[in-house]
Amino acid sequence: SSDNMSGETGDPALTRQRAYQKKAFEFISRALKIDEENSGQKQQAIDLYKKGIAELEKGIAVECRGHGEEYDRARKLREKMLTNLGMARDRLDLLETVLASCSDDT
Amino acid sequence: GTTTLNVPTDQVDHLMHQVADEAGLELNMELPQGQTSTIGTPSTASEQQDELSQRLAQLRQM
Repeated sequence: SSDNMSGETGDPALTRQRAYQKKAFEFISRALKIDEENSGQKQQAIDLYKKGIAELEKGIAVECRGHGEEYDRARKLREKMLTNLGMARDRLDLLETVLASCSDDT
Repeated sequence: GTTTLNVPTDQVDHLMHQVADEAGLELNMELPQGQTSTIGTPSTASEQQDELSQRLAQLRQM
């Protein structure tokens, strides 16, 4: 049925964007936790950052062209995901560089 | 003729918050940074991305 109790458009694209965002948040917050604790499990953090980055990329790729508040919000969310994609990539590069230089020492 | 509404302000306030919650809007966006960062897991997509930004920025300074 096409009933829409919430009053939203129910655009499946926006639902997908939300789902990717959620996964990205879960992966990257887990990566950040390990990274912040500085426990030496950097490889694990790297793997989680990579998974989170992949989800961010999928979320950013979702088209959110449309009119109305719901789409405005989706575009703002996309902007935020773009910012975090850049920052997460920077962090990942740094960790990989650090890890590579550590193994060179041995 | 005209219609006059006499709705108590607290009722309006409550309704605004309810609508904002449902829409996932941020009524407290102008809160100073740092005050929001220690509260548990943020509930809206937008807040979750904000939290990631803050934590990534902090790591950058280390």
